[in-house]
Amino acid sequence: MYVSYRWLARHVDLSGIDAHQLADDLTLSTAEVEGVELFAPQLSDVVVGHVVSREAHPDADKLSVCKVDVGGGDGEPLQIVCGAPNVAAGQKVAVATVGTVLPGDFKIKKSKIRNVESRGMICSVRELDIGDEHDGIWVLPTDATAGSTVAEALDILDWAIEIDNKSLTHRPDLWGHRGIAREIAAIHGRELLPLDLRPPETGNAPAFPVHVESDACSRYLGLRVEGARAEPSPDWLRWLLLAVGQRPIDLIVDLSNFVMLDLGQPNHTFDASRLSSEGIRVRNARSSETLTTLDGETRKLAESDLLICSGDDPVALAGIMGGEASKVGEDTSQLLLEVATFDAATVRRTSARLGLRTDSSARFEKCLDPTLPIAAAGHFARLLAAVQPEVRFPAVLTDVGNWRDPALEINLQTERVRTALGADIPDPAIVDILTRLQFDVSRTNDTELRVGVPSARGIKDVTTAQDLIEEVGRIYRYGNIPEQFMQAAVEPPRPDERRELVRRIQDRLSGTARFHELLSYSFIDDDTLTRLGWTDRPHVRVRNPMDQEESRVRRAVLPSLLGDLEANRRARSEIRFFEVGKGYLPEHANDRGEPREVHQLAMLWAAAPDRGGERFDDDRFHQLLGVVEDLFSYLGLPGELVWAVPAEAPSWAHPAQVLATGDGSGEPLALVANLEPGLARAIGLRDELASDVAVAEISIDALLAAPRGVRPFRPVPRYPGVKLDVAIDLPEATPAADLVAVLVEAGKKQVADTELFDVYRGKNVEPGRKSLAYHVLLQSEAKTLSDKDQTKYLARLEKGLTRIDGRLRK
Amino acid sequence: MNPEANSDEAREMDLARQKDEAREKIDACADSAALKDVERHYLGRKGIVASALAGIGQLPPDERKDAGQNANRLKQAIQELVDARARVLDETSLAAERSGAGFDPTLPAARLESGSLHPVTQVTRELEDLFLSMGYSVLDGPEVELDHYNFEALNIPADHPARDSHDTFFCTAEGSKDAAEQLVMRTHTSPVQVRAMEQLEPPFRVIAPGRCFRQETTDASHDHTFYQMEGMVVGRDISVGHLIGAMRTLLRGIFKQDLDVRLRPGYFPFVEPGFELDARCPFCEDGCSVCKRTTWIELLPCGLVHPNVLRAGGIDSDIWSGFAFGLGLSRLVMLRYGVDDVRHLFGGDLRFLEQF
Ligand SMILES: [Zn+2]
Repeated sequence: MYVSYRWLARHVDLSGIDAHQLADDLTLSTAEVEGVELFAPQLSDVVVGHVVSREAHPDADKLSVCKVDVGGGDGEPLQIVCGAPNVAAGQKVAVATVGTVLPGDFKIKKSKIRNVESRGMICSVRELDIGDEHDGIWVLPTDATAGSTVAEALDILDWAIEIDNKSLTHRPDLWGHRGIAREIAAIHGRELLPLDLRPPETGNAPAFPVHVESDACSRYLGLRVEGARAEPSPDWLRWLLLAVGQRPIDLIVDLSNFVMLDLGQPNHTFDASRLSSEGIRVRNARSSETLTTLDGETRKLAESDLLICSGDDPVALAGIMGGEASKVGEDTSQLLLEVATFDAATVRRTSARLGLRTDSSARFEKCLDPTLPIAAAGHFARLLAAVQPEVRFPAVLTDVGNWRDPALEINLQTERVRTALGADIPDPAIVDILTRLQFDVSRTNDTELRVGVPSARGIKDVTTAQDLIEEVGRIYRYGNIPEQFMQAAVEPPRPDERRELVRRIQDRLSGTARFHELLSYSFIDDDTLTRLGWTDRPHVRVRNPMDQEESRVRRAVLPSLLGDLEANRRARSEIRFFEVGKGYLPEHANDRGEPREVHQLAMLWAAAPDRGGERFDDDRFHQLLGVVEDLFSYLGLPGELVWAVPAEAPSWAHPAQVLATGDGSGEPLALVANLEPGLARAIGLRDELASDVAVAEISIDALLAAPRGVRPFRPVPRYPGVKLDVAIDLPEATPAADLVAVLVEAGKKQVADTELFDVYRGKNVEPGRKSLAYHVLLQSEAKTLSDKDQTKYLARLEKGLTRIDGRLRK
Repeated sequence: MNPEANSDEAREMDLARQKDEAREKIDACADSAALKDVERHYLGRKGIVASALAGIGQLPPDERKDAGQNANRLKQAIQELVDARARVLDETSLAAERSGAGFDPTLPAARLESGSLHPVTQVTRELEDLFLSMGYSVLDGPEVELDHYNFEALNIPADHPARDSHDTFFCTAEGSKDAAEQLVMRTHTSPVQVRAMEQLEPPFRVIAPGRCFRQETTDASHDHTFYQMEGMVVGRDISVGHLIGAMRTLLRGIFKQDLDVRLRPGYFPFVEPGFELDARCPFCEDGCSVCKRTTWIELLPCGLVHPNVLRAGGIDSDIWSGFAFGLGLSRLVMLRYGVDDVRHLFGGDLRFLEQF
């Protein structure tokens, strides 16, 4: 919202307070000021010129050669060639001299027009961007002093102060200049200048009939006006409207706007001659009804919309916009002024539904004071009569509706003010601040005040003692409150197991495992879901997404990691990513309708395909599996996790290259897989971007539920162990874990470690079989092991291997 | 001539000759490996000295003693020569090593390929630790939130104009049996205030970092998803002065310096009075692009908890009071690292992430 400095000065003496000071005051005590701008700075650049003489241009019919006195020392008038038909000797005009820059970045230069020198330009209203007229130059009042700036000469030096609308949401009283002026007066302890808002004297004709049929209109005031002319408004009015960014139209429209911008009360004028003799009906719309609003749009209405009707015909969307049909035209002299109070929620709903936001709806939706219409009607009538004294108000003022005055009284313990603010503000200062804000303060006893709240404040934001504390605080200024430290003891912070676990995961993965942490959006795109075959799964769905293709909230974190893979692979040959995040499962909502939230860790390791010649386990899958096992060990999960090929693998997993672990009761604790090859291709990992991609999904919820603890210390061996290498030939289908079990069992508790170091197929190993070579460490806590122990171990091993059809290779 | 004497003499000569020959070979050794070879040649298990000693058994008994002595003298002499040469070689190689030839310390460092923590995680942790040290607990709340928590319980009933500025994403739960309540993507972390009140008995202090969502056009400084951190303190006689004290401590923790702050009225329906806290721009003295030339940066909306909100959380507002604040974490990350486009945070670009 824009506020004009000169306009405010109509309500409060601003001497000694410039526009910037005023902006700071409002910012610190009232509402956020977004900026202060000099109004029409070009009017401070152009000067008043006196046209001393005008002659026809020797070579052009339509041009005049003028001598223009723009003041200055030498007294020599400037020669200016002008194309306007209305330029005449004796006029006072606005002159842009050489060097002046006009709106549109138009710089005036010395020039020759058809061989005649011209040293400036006589401006039209349009060239100065203060109006649309461009038929001729702007003729200034004859008493303007040549040489002074136009702004000075017309006394219209002004600043537009922009206030953030959001910070006025709770202050319907501040949606007009008088409200803002009331704040300035309170801040500076100055008087709010009186304003004559008494209702006009009216004739005795019967009041215009108005029937209110909806609770959404609590008050409707109708004033008949006769003899008003829609002529241009007087300059004072035009300049104030221009200063706040409104284009003056004619007196009727301008006054209607002025009253709204002055008092914050929207109002509307109808051409009374076009209204039905049945009068005005205020009713809800019918479902099939339409209305063509002033902007020419035909609106489809809903039953919740409130209409102003002439008889039964809609003529305005209440509180939002008038209708085309009853528009006040240039020849209108019979008016009906409507000043009403409409329900905030009704106006807000309709305006939101139709996408039709107006200055009027913005005010009504803040909840307006129902005592304001009578003042606004008086203001309009008195301003109009001042400009057009012949105007008459023939009929008794219509004033119908069911409203009550929101003024109220609040008891305020002054000690509570001091406690809540943490500032030692004495009682008299509290009383002084409240009084300056136009509260009516009296004392009930030594510790308590009785505070009368005026209607303008009681309607919305001052209804409790807490609200009054805010009033005192903001005028006292929060900056004057000393900083304080809380003394009261609170319990030590509650441990948050999940947060601590997540921290350890992040640390291990970003540190030891050298993974990069990624955060991706909670929305998942349709393409990814289609590729996963997940479009049929229930999702939390956003009804108004940024992008129709990204309307679903993810169920799992892992798919989010696939999105940027192609681009990243273009930049890097190897990518190690992880994300800890949430997914939402709406089909598992609780009885309050909250979808189940799952916490997951997703990991991805992608690299250009194997370069060949590495060890058997130098592939992304086994490397990632190693990272996961290391992580679990770091988190204190019990040692031997059993990994197995799951019966059912998610669609992102390679159908044969996937392992899962868990306690078997439900969701797996972890899944590690190579990325499904078709999916990899679909996301662009093909040709020169072909990649080995391993992925893992770990349930943080399952991790939290799993038994975790500190792994106990194992004594450092006292006796040297024996390390022996064995190669075992066994059927292809036998999992390595089965072999390890045999290796361990044969050791009779002496096997301290086993480590696979080679996998071999080929010569000397029959087809359908493989050879796995292990380092086995034998260790005893009681003695140094000998060659004999080694021989005994191998003998037991050979026997044990028969159980899994394994053979010790020599 | 005495043949014995002759033979003694001949042995002496032979010894001297062998010693000379060994000296020659030893002095010719250019490195310790060559020296080892020569040493083995003479002194090894099958070396010259060993075979000489082995041959002694074949000699007549009266010659054995002398022959043995000679062989041992030779052994001793050669060992001394070898040791002397070893010392020389050692000195030489040490000197060569000290000369530094063949090594260029000015070449660039080997690159350690490390991992990284997301900057949002880093800043969040820093703040969590700061608040934990001041007795705050850390809470979490859902990203998909009930209208009740996001608005209603925060004193923003349906049709409240403040809802407009929230640019809410409205949600539908597919497959849910009863779509009992309206779901939204939470527009702020403030719903955790109400959840905290439901979970905890006053007095308490909590923070709640997390994601928030706004349906607004994205640009370099706006993203539809961003991080915030909510804070809430409930106790007896909590005042604006306490709020100011806590916020200044917070800012000291963030910026590691004492910044001037100013508190001005700000409207948020869930606090009363409500404030915007601005901090003096830490990056300039007379205006820069970060502070939009105002020298103030708008950092923290905050205020005393509205009695209606306390009541919605089941807390008696006659006994308890509190303050709350919301900190823009994404914005703080941008300020901290000078990130010029907020969309990088969720961009998933490794070239961005690996810098942290
Ligand atoms: Zn700055």
